[in-house]
Amino acid sequence: MFSLKPPRPTFRSYLLPPLQTDDNINSEPKIKKLEPVLLPGEIVVNEVNFVRKCIATDTSQYDLWGKLICSNFKISFITDDPMPLQKFHYRNLLLGDHDVPLTCIEQIVTVNDHKRKQKVLGPNQKLKFNPTELIIYCKDFRIVRFRFDESGPESAKKVCLAIAHYSQPTDLQLLFAFEYIGKKYHNSANKINGIPSGDGGGGGGEGNGGGVDSSQKTPLFEIYSDWDREIKRTAASGWRVCSINEGYMISTCLPEYFVVPSSLADQDLKIFSHSFVGRRMPLWCWSHANGSALVRMALVKDAPQQRKIDQRICNAITKSHPQRSDVYKSDLDKTLPNIQEVQAAFVKLKQLCVNEPFEETEEKWLSSLENTRWLEYVRAFLKHSAELVYMLESKHLSVVLQEEEGRDLSCLVASLVQVMLDPYFRTIVGFQSLIQKEWVMAGYQFLDRCNHLKRSEKESPLFLLFLDATWQLLEQYPAAFEFSETYLAVLYDSTRISLFGTFLFNSPHQRVKQSTEFAISKNIQLGDEKGLKFPSVWDWSLQFTAKDRTLFHNPFYIGKSTPCVQNGSMKSFKRTKGNPGT
Amino acid sequence: MASASTSKYNSHSLENESIKRTSRDGVNRDLTEAVPRLPGETLITDKEVIYICPFNGPIKGRVYITNYRLYLRSLETDSAVILDVPLGVISRIEKMGGATSRGENSYGLDITCKDMRNLRFALKQEGHSRRDMFEILTRYLVPSTAAAPLPLFAFLNEEKFNVDGWTVYNPVEEYRRQGLPNHHWRITFINKCYELCDTYPALLVVPYRATDDDLRRVATFRSRNRIPVLSWIHPENKTVIVRCSQPLVGMGGKRNKDDEKYLDVIRETNKQISKLTIYDARPSVNAVANKATGGGYESDDAYHNAELFFLDIHNIHVMRESLKKVKDIVYPNVEESHWLSSLESTHWLEHIKLVLTGAIQVADKVSSGKSSVLVHCSDGWDRTAQLTSLAMLMLDSFYRSIEGFEILVQKEWISFGHKFASRIGHGDKNHTDADRSPIFLQFIDCVWQMSKQFPTAFEFNEQFLIIILDHLYSCRFGTFLFNCESARERQKVTERTVSLWSLINSNKEKFKNPFYTKEINRILYPVASMRHLELWVNYYIRWNPRIKQQQPNPVEQRYMELLALRDEYIKRLEELQLANSAKLSDPPTSPSSPSQMMPHMQTHF
Repeated sequence: MFSLKPPRPTFRSYLLPPLQTDDNINSEPKIKKLEPVLLPGEIVVNEVNFVRKCIATDTSQYDLWGKLICSNFKISFITDDPMPLQKFHYRNLLLGDHDVPLTCIEQIVTVNDHKRKQKVLGPNQKLKFNPTELIIYCKDFRIVRFRFDESGPESAKKVCLAIAHYSQPTDLQLLFAFEYIGKKYHNSANKINGIPSGDGGGGGGEGNGGGVDSSQKTPLFEIYSDWDREIKRTAASGWRVCSINEGYMISTCLPEYFVVPSSLADQDLKIFSHSFVGRRMPLWCWSHANGSALVRMALVKDAPQQRKIDQRICNAITKSHPQRSDVYKSDLDKTLPNIQEVQAAFVKLKQLCVNEPFEETEEKWLSSLENTRWLEYVRAFLKHSAELVYMLESKHLSVVLQEEEGRDLSCLVASLVQVMLDPYFRTIVGFQSLIQKEWVMAGYQFLDRCNHLKRSEKESPLFLLFLDATWQLLEQYPAAFEFSETYLAVLYDSTRISLFGTFLFNSPHQRVKQSTEFAISKNIQLGDEKGLKFPSVWDWSLQFTAKDRTLFHNPFYIGKSTPCVQNGSMKSFKRTKGNPGT
Repeated sequence: MASASTSKYNSHSLENESIKRTSRDGVNRDLTEAVPRLPGETLITDKEVIYICPFNGPIKGRVYITNYRLYLRSLETDSAVILDVPLGVISRIEKMGGATSRGENSYGLDITCKDMRNLRFALKQEGHSRRDMFEILTRYLVPSTAAAPLPLFAFLNEEKFNVDGWTVYNPVEEYRRQGLPNHHWRITFINKCYELCDTYPALLVVPYRATDDDLRRVATFRSRNRIPVLSWIHPENKTVIVRCSQPLVGMGGKRNKDDEKYLDVIRETNKQISKLTIYDARPSVNAVANKATGGGYESDDAYHNAELFFLDIHNIHVMRESLKKVKDIVYPNVEESHWLSSLESTHWLEHIKLVLTGAIQVADKVSSGKSSVLVHCSDGWDRTAQLTSLAMLMLDSFYRSIEGFEILVQKEWISFGHKFASRIGHGDKNHTDADRSPIFLQFIDCVWQMSKQFPTAFEFNEQFLIIILDHLYSCRFGTFLFNCESARERQKVTERTVSLWSLINSNKEKFKNPFYTKEINRILYPVASMRHLELWVNYYIRWNPRIKQQQPNPVEQRYMELLALRDEYIKRLEELQLANSAKLSDPPTSPSSPSQMMPHMQTHF
């Protein structure tokens, strides 16, 4: 040994197949090539060279050499080595094979094996040892391991701390989407009116079907006409679009426009709204061809008023039914698992799929899976939704979903019922519009439930549960859905990419408020716009090429004539296999 | 209340479907007759009964008993329930209720079937109708013990098909397909009259260097004379899968020089690896225990050039009990609340996993390990057949075609003496017989698991596997009758009965997998992990109308449409090319063949 740090090629030749050793890796041009691909507004915060990415559980021939980078958007591992054991048939345009978006990081663990030390890194923490290994636990069930045996110890430490810091921001406006959109607005300010164009910057009106056909736009339900069109599409006579929440004057957790029984005047609604939790008055979701409507609402908190208001609401809903049918009320809080239980089940499921040794879980796999209760909950939601489908379709009753705040379980049940009853929602555009209508606009708290800021006690994977339940239906009715399993997986992954506005906020109002603040601080002219227009997830061209997007389409889909799908029985349920783990 | 109404709703929409299932076996039925009848089938009696349907409640109906089947037709106008059960499927008939029974529908018969269901009929107490029905069923169920012995229906069946299933398997042709004989392996007729081994086929493939005398001496050291013979040879590396029974080592640890030498001769046919690999399908404790009854396994001391591995697959009794537990949780009611742990506690999937794992090891050893492999269990007709046939299915794409699979079953199971008669209990009333075991069903389940994991690799569909299992019990065909080839020969089965393959091969379209893409040389290694194995719901829970899948399968329909569309486009393309080349009046260049165009078309899928 001539130097303290052995020259890298020697080491490399020791570990890798001899074929590659003659390559002089250490030469200048080679290193220069290892440059990250950055998005507008993305900056490299820290980087470290000569990092080994572990692919298999043990140090092995599969390990890759490269540079580890922490940016304000992602951690990126840049390597010339080919990816062994290639798994996916599609590539994300925003992320390399080895990249992890910061919002996808669950936990960061640093290890020093010489000192036998290990530390979970929170934000703004100190690290008293030089890490030899960095383990990143991701929210999408991945575990990524890096070894720093040959890297500079100080830069390794700095990168670890940077990752810990940037992946656990203290403020919503520190999420990358703001930096990105700010840059976009600034860049385009020089061109046209400050409205970003080109690669689908429009969180407002953009969002194509995700497929080859980009002419069909996903209705976002941000504007009056989307609701009006939905009323006409479902032939919901007796219902009208209501504008009393324009400018979020009534409620900050309701959309600006929503649909109510025609018989209720704006003035009445304003009065009633005070009695509901979060002023979340009854919102129309959908109407069956037979006239039965699906309605969701929060609880009436005002006990003495409760009976009276309930009565008025029910009467109004009955009046909106062409046959004046009764209303069937479903108290979701009493019939379904709550969000904490769903979260607990998810944690156990993840534990089972990711953390525990394969061999140990193999023997008791089925009962362990059962013990997580995840499938039990998936079943509970499907079963309850199927019961409501029966009420709507066969009993011709309008259904009212009641929940304390009306913005968690209601989102899931309302969407499942519609997926089961209306073939439109089994198309790609329809499914996306359903998510806009019942989740994004209805004020599902994506920021808290996805825990983008990593300090929330309110994390719960209800949206994943919805996608899983949809997957179960897709398995049982393979010809009924336009989209594929791949589409559902990619959609879920997209909730972890903090570039899109779709799944970033707790309510539409929060988007407007936060982005207006941000725009003012950054001197961005908003004009008539209500807040910044973040890119929409539905603009799939941002993430995937047209060729890859064909994988979203289910080749077995029979466009029309698929019956209403429903089945709440357990044994035909499959175990979800999709999530890749290491 | 809500849940009750849902199940009503569900059952309502699915009910009709369960009821329309009349003919699954492609027989033309005369609609004017009350009962469908096969040529040779005769009506014996009919009775008015109440069928106590576990899903739809009691249904008044008329039951017809022929010499082949029990057939029930509903007499109620709003229900079209039909039961069509070959008598061979019946495992046990019990009387329920006595003269003093008072409850409604408490007096009658309870019939246990081999295909995962029970049938209950309530009869009137007056007029001895129950006694009659009981006696008739018992007589036809066990024809051989009747006062005047009756043959199994297969011998009375006069069905005619335009193809003869008995010609599907010709051992000489099959071995020739494998490239045999060659200069290491020869075909021997030593067992022509079943003198060497009465449970082996007449024709065997053995090492070229082993003489017939060697074979006779080896036979003395192998349980029931089932000597190591070739099942399959790798087309390229020429390693082989050899099957046999356990060596007769016994408590004293006996050795046999001829057997040792014979295994060495087998090893030497492969020059690539210095060892022969022996897979003993049993758990090692069982193999040791077998020494007490004269059996055992190949010890290191005696067989220097062999490596022995135990595959931990349990015996026929364990499998029988496991399947019983499966039935308990699926029939008549599906155990809903703790479905997964109940399923786990049956251990059925765990056994499936071990069988598949064993077969994967055999296939991998032959293909990647380049080592010849010898497989045995105790007698070499249960677990051994499972392992060799599954390994061959993984290695050789020929066996994944319809005829190839028929050949595989005919060869590794029927000709090599899997004791179908004993395991299934054809025409035998002793339903508690310890010899009965669902070994063949377990094999078919493994095949189904593979077809699930490789949806394009098999020419046949699920219906093909189900019809094989249905006629495993039905006794309509001679295919699965008797325990071995010598017995079948004595009974002239091929002359006097029809083969199941005649029915299937004359109606092949019905059993084809539309997703099949023929691939030569592709080895299938299924993932034998509990994470991927599933209960075969469409077989084990098929009687429950609430669990049934959509029929007809819209996916298959859609696929058929797409295939038709593709053919149409290819045709149009060819026409255009033809028109084009005519226009150019050039010497006709060969238009690109359809097969060249297929990859493009397939990118859409």
